[in-house]
Amino acid sequence: MTSKADAVIIGGGIVGAACAYYLSTAGLKVHLVERGFPASGTSRACDGLILTWDKSPGAELALGQASAMLWTELAQVLDMDFEYARTGTILLAENEPALAAGRARVEAMQAAGVRAETLDDVGLRSLEPNLAADLTGGAFFPDDAQVDARRATLALLTAAQQRGLALHSQTEVSAIRRANHGEGRVSGVVTRSGEISTETVVCAAGVWSNIVARLVGLELPIRPRKGHILVTARAPYLIHHPLLEGGYVTTVQSAAEDLQVALVAEMTASGTLLLGSSRQFAGFDRSVSLAVMQAIAARALRFLPGLARVGVLRSYAGLRPWSPDHLPLIGPVEAAPGFYLATGHEGAGIGLAPISGQLIAGWVTGGDLPPVAAEVRPDRFELSPC
Amino acid sequence: MEQTELAVVGAGPAGLSAAITAARSGLHVTLLDEYPAPGGQYLKGAFRPTAAHPLPTAEQQGRTLLRELAISGIGLRTQTLVWGIETSTAGWRLALYSPRGLDWLDAETVIVASGARELIIPFPGWTLPGVMTVGGAQLLAKEHGVLPGRRMLLAGSGPLLLAAADTLSRQGAQVVAVLEAAPLSRWMPHAPAMWGNWDRLREGWHYLYRLQRARIPYRLGWTAIQASGRDELEAVTVARLDRQGRPIPGSEEEVRVDALCLGFGFLPNVELTQLAGCDHSFEAARGGWVPCLTERLETSRPGLFVAGEAAGVAGATAAMLEGQIAGLAAAHRLGRIPESRLVRELMALAPRRRHLARFAAMLNTLFAPLPGLDALTTDDTPICRCEEVTAGEVRAVIDQGVWELDALKTWTRVGQGPCQGRTCGPLLARLMAHERGRPVSEVGSFSVRPPLKPIPLGDLARERVL
Repeated sequence: MTSKADAVIIGGGIVGAACAYYLSTAGLKVHLVERGFPASGTSRACDGLILTWDKSPGAELALGQASAMLWTELAQVLDMDFEYARTGTILLAENEPALAAGRARVEAMQAAGVRAETLDDVGLRSLEPNLAADLTGGAFFPDDAQVDARRATLALLTAAQQRGLALHSQTEVSAIRRANHGEGRVSGVVTRSGEISTETVVCAAGVWSNIVARLVGLELPIRPRKGHILVTARAPYLIHHPLLEGGYVTTVQSAAEDLQVALVAEMTASGTLLLGSSRQFAGFDRSVSLAVMQAIAARALRFLPGLARVGVLRSYAGLRPWSPDHLPLIGPVEAAPGFYLATGHEGAGIGLAPISGQLIAGWVTGGDLPPVAAEVRPDRFELSPC
Repeated sequence: MEQTELAVVGAGPAGLSAAITAARSGLHVTLLDEYPAPGGQYLKGAFRPTAAHPLPTAEQQGRTLLRELAISGIGLRTQTLVWGIETSTAGWRLALYSPRGLDWLDAETVIVASGARELIIPFPGWTLPGVMTVGGAQLLAKEHGVLPGRRMLLAGSGPLLLAAADTLSRQGAQVVAVLEAAPLSRWMPHAPAMWGNWDRLREGWHYLYRLQRARIPYRLGWTAIQASGRDELEAVTVARLDRQGRPIPGSEEEVRVDALCLGFGFLPNVELTQLAGCDHSFEAARGGWVPCLTERLETSRPGLFVAGEAAGVAGATAAMLEGQIAGLAAAHRLGRIPESRLVRELMALAPRRRHLARFAAMLNTLFAPLPGLDALTTDDTPICRCEEVTAGEVRAVIDQGVWELDALKTWTRVGQGPCQGRTCGPLLARLMAHERGRPVSEVGSFSVRPPLKPIPLGDLARERVL
């Protein structure tokens, strides 16, 4: 295969798929190369929540809001059903300090223009009758949604293929060519099955982005952060909205090295429950830890006693691309003209995929960019040459 | 946390033999089994032997092991599921689930003797009530004295069909016919492998003779291609197969039965060794994916051994012999027997082992499901019965260029139900290989993660030492 492309995307997860979709929609001839198969990495080892309230007001929340709107649009536009449901999410509080934190979150979100309401005991139980009896309140964010992350990836790729995307699975990139003796603009992507000449390369390789970035002499501050999820047998009436405990935000925003566990429960369209969440730095090891499984189960049981007799069918662990300032790295890199990054979303990749794809399309085609684009530019970090 | 020197997973012929051999060498042994009683599928229930029905030699040996187990001092834990495995400071940590709830066992060495499961080839109607596996039907009859039907048809491949027909007809079932898919026309080249395995051959003759006495037809090169009935099985369409195993149009016959028993051989249970991260390879002559083992039956992970059908389908006699080897090897690893003795014992067992392996390879080759049998799985046949996904849906996805087994899970819901892809995984691998014209070995298998079988969340959550 020797071919020409307007842009080559490296990575076939949700972010790469969104980049492929928006670039193809903009009329570019796009190739996407993926080492395994679509969604074979982090995008099939995660939940499918599209949240705004867990984002810090500012750039992060702006991205979240914009992306949530794009998801609503995509649910109508894309042919393939990816189980988009605008269920809203519920924040659970275990005690008085958590309740207070929940109220503060609601106020902050309302101030930022996100619909949010506090729930008292009655309000909580009318939404979720199966919660533990001692819970006295929480908060509701009606505009949050959920998708099946794997199907969403496939839906974006399928739509991009209809717009001319060439998808290369089982294809690993071995080199990125650059003009001017390897100093100038990128000029091509080399794979085992041939070369694609292009002046634009988008790295959307998630936790593996550094392997790609090193091909153009960059070193990214991305680290794999491991998260576990349990899948239960079908229990379709147990919950009606995704549930998250207040402590979840703390674990998301913290950079603690050791294991942190907080409840996230999501009902899938097929009636099985996805239960999370854990965060820990454990290198690239994707094996499931029995102790973490237990910790997640214990957390879930604390809020949903009805789970006691529901079978746990399986578990998985995924690696989230952690970024030091908790913002993704999206946009061009000065040191390597023609090389773009769309990575570092940690656990927010599903939610933030559409806006990431749209920003990349804006950068590549020279279109309009929203103000937030400047705040997520990779060059805010020293991408130290190696 | 409970601790032991050797944990043996599975108390069938291989596990019993391994546990007893290791205990004789002075090891502290814990023997784990999912079922309420030791013995595995092979030694479950039994008819009292008579002159006309003597116990097969292997079964006699197995019963001796069961008697020895009772006085061996081995810690036996029945009704205990091993659902996870991790390394620990002691060596290995097994995650257990039993009537006691959830607990853990730290073992310096582990012998996996998890046996094998039956392979079926799906065809329209295979999920109807009244259709079951041959082994399942035999177990019902042997252990519980229950017959799955009055008029029965057996179809598939391999010697188990004969043994099951004998068991079922002795229990009073009317076995209409035994359909052996393999034409067995090419058995001559295998004659050398049969030499010396007189016990096994005598057993085979015995069953053939019993079949003839009971006037049960044994039809070679035939199989069941469709099961039908309103709410449960009423009739089965059978057909003659061509050399590739494809049904020959026009040869169909309808047989009215109320039970159909299927069995196309066995697949080694390798989920635990896969979860432990051991290397595996695809060996058709041993039944499919098997762990890569040393002469001492040690896997690529130190201190983890495999014996019996889980190491390759070879029958009960070979399983007991392998159990002996693994038991000795574990004892040697923990310093209870010297290298010289281990070498001596291995050498003494080697000729018998080679003999049995050759015979097993012959059977596995002779009765291997022919590639054309995949044509039985028509597009409207459910291939993942947990999630009700049809073969047609899977083929459509493969046609789109999806070439990886795990990717099928991303596109459809195959393998995501309570059985964890245990049933559909190997079938999907065959289907994928067939559609792409590639060997099954290249397709791989579903990735395995804990729990190996479902556990109630409340029990998983219970606070424990970890």
